[in-house]
Amino acid sequence: MEARFEGVRFAYGDHPVLDVPELRFAEGRVTALLGPNGSGKSPLLRLLAGLERPAAGRVLVGGNPAPAARDSVAYAFQEAVFLSGTLRANLDLALRLRGLSPSARRSRLDEAATACGVAHLLDRPANRLSGGEAQRANLARALSLRAPLTLLDEPLAGFDERGRGQMLAELPALLRRFAGTTVLVTHDRDEALRLAEDLVLLREGRLRAAGPRREVFAAPPDPETAAFLGYTLVPTDAGLAGVAPGGLRPGPGDFTLSLHVEQVVDLVACVEVAGRSGGRRIAVEFPSDHPLPAPGEQVTVSAPTGMVVTFTKPAPEPVDRPSRASVA
Amino acid sequence: MEAIWDGLVEAFRLIFRGDGELFSIAGRSLLVSGSATALAMLVGVPLGYLLGRARFPARTLILAAVGTGMGMPPVVAGLVIWLLLVRSGPFGGFELIYTKQAMIIAQFLIATPLVIAFTAASIQALPARLPDLLTVLGAGRLRTLWLLAREARLGLLAAVMAGFGAVVSEVGASMAVGGNLVGDTRVLTTAIVTETSRADTERAIAYGLVLLAMAFAIVAVLTVVQQRSPR
Repeated sequence: MEARFEGVRFAYGDHPVLDVPELRFAEGRVTALLGPNGSGKSPLLRLLAGLERPAAGRVLVGGNPAPAARDSVAYAFQEAVFLSGTLRANLDLALRLRGLSPSARRSRLDEAATACGVAHLLDRPANRLSGGEAQRANLARALSLRAPLTLLDEPLAGFDERGRGQMLAELPALLRRFAGTTVLVTHDRDEALRLAEDLVLLREGRLRAAGPRREVFAAPPDPETAAFLGYTLVPTDAGLAGVAPGGLRPGPGDFTLSLHVEQVVDLVACVEVAGRSGGRRIAVEFPSDHPLPAPGEQVTVSAPTGMVVTFTKPAPEPVDRPSRASVA
Repeated sequence: MEAIWDGLVEAFRLIFRGDGELFSIAGRSLLVSGSATALAMLVGVPLGYLLGRARFPARTLILAAVGTGMGMPPVVAGLVIWLLLVRSGPFGGFELIYTKQAMIIAQFLIATPLVIAFTAASIQALPARLPDLLTVLGAGRLRTLWLLAREARLGLLAAVMAGFGAVVSEVGASMAVGGNLVGDTRVLTTAIVTETSRADTERAIAYGLVLLAMAFAIVAVLTVVQQRSPR
């Protein structure tokens, strides 16, 4: 099911929260809403769920205004909230509220609980589950609905590191099996890139970029967005250049920088060499077998042209389109 | 000590003999305090729900006023209602003074702040996202309210117990607006005062025991309901 924002403005009282002239979530695709805290990601999700109404414009889900399309939406909140009673009773209530027959409820419930790894917890009180268990149960409740539009708010919050890694590996298959169009909120770039096919970047309530993740990642529209995507920003004669994550290597190359070394940190698998170039702090991963510089030394680092974007002004407003770097 | 023992024996005799006056007064107490509590729930639960959920500028002020109302001495509530209902008062034309209805109104005034405060606190203690979750899952407005009430049942039943406990045990308001009229507005608490002043210790103790037993029975039933886990 497709979802669409048309000229949407949304505010909490006098405080503007979102201004999205146009945005489309294509049918059957997984889209990650990516942005720093307070960028408007969760309000955008709440508008899609029909929990908020825009001050202007329209939010359409499957062609209908969002509140009217609520039955087509499943929503897993960031905070896993349950009613008192067992997990089974909680999952069953969600399906019962969607009007499913008892036999359909039973099979949907068992299927989603098993797939999400919470089948053994079904008869436990839902409010006594651990953080990771509660998040899996939260996901199972949303996925059991098999809704045409599934909304996930920070689906990996609440997991410990190991659990997060496991869920990150399992989630794409779960979404393919149980969800149609999916919109998930995250502030973590790696999560977004691993889980989503499309990216929507938000900052201060405004849309900074939207599209297939490779395109969005390859062409950040402004230095701030590039920095959020993990680009290393360095000043150039023309303005600023952004080097994609992992792009900087020791030694000369297409786009060469001189780095004044301040710190050398042995990370075992590699060595992080941090220092300043053009007044900006930069960190470069050196292979652990590479001759290491000492603090105070000047070293040359570089990036291939394909991993560099340039911005003609330091902080362009309105946003300048980026261009591929052509640094000799 | 002997007087107390004799009083207890006579009290039990009155109770088990099925003394007509005793049980008529107990029934009246139950009617007046039960009605006042029911009315307080009817008004207090929705107001408490609003205060617990909604955010508006005067909310804190209203909560403070409700808190003050919780500590209002019953005799003051009685005085207020007496001033309103007395024949020369603004509602004197209704001729409610010294009737059971006047007692119900006064006890309603005592119980309502308790019900509002307990309800607001129990609703506020629910996870903030719970109403949103129920809305997204497709629960209508009434179903959402019912499910939230079920979640807040500990606090809501505590509200009933607090409200009923406060009014069934008060004497000042009932005396002021009911007048303690024999066979008409005399309830257990005012009867205890009367019998104590007459030095009829046996009856006073019997009334006291019945009052305690009645309060215990009602609170016990509510506690059982409160502590039962929903499936």
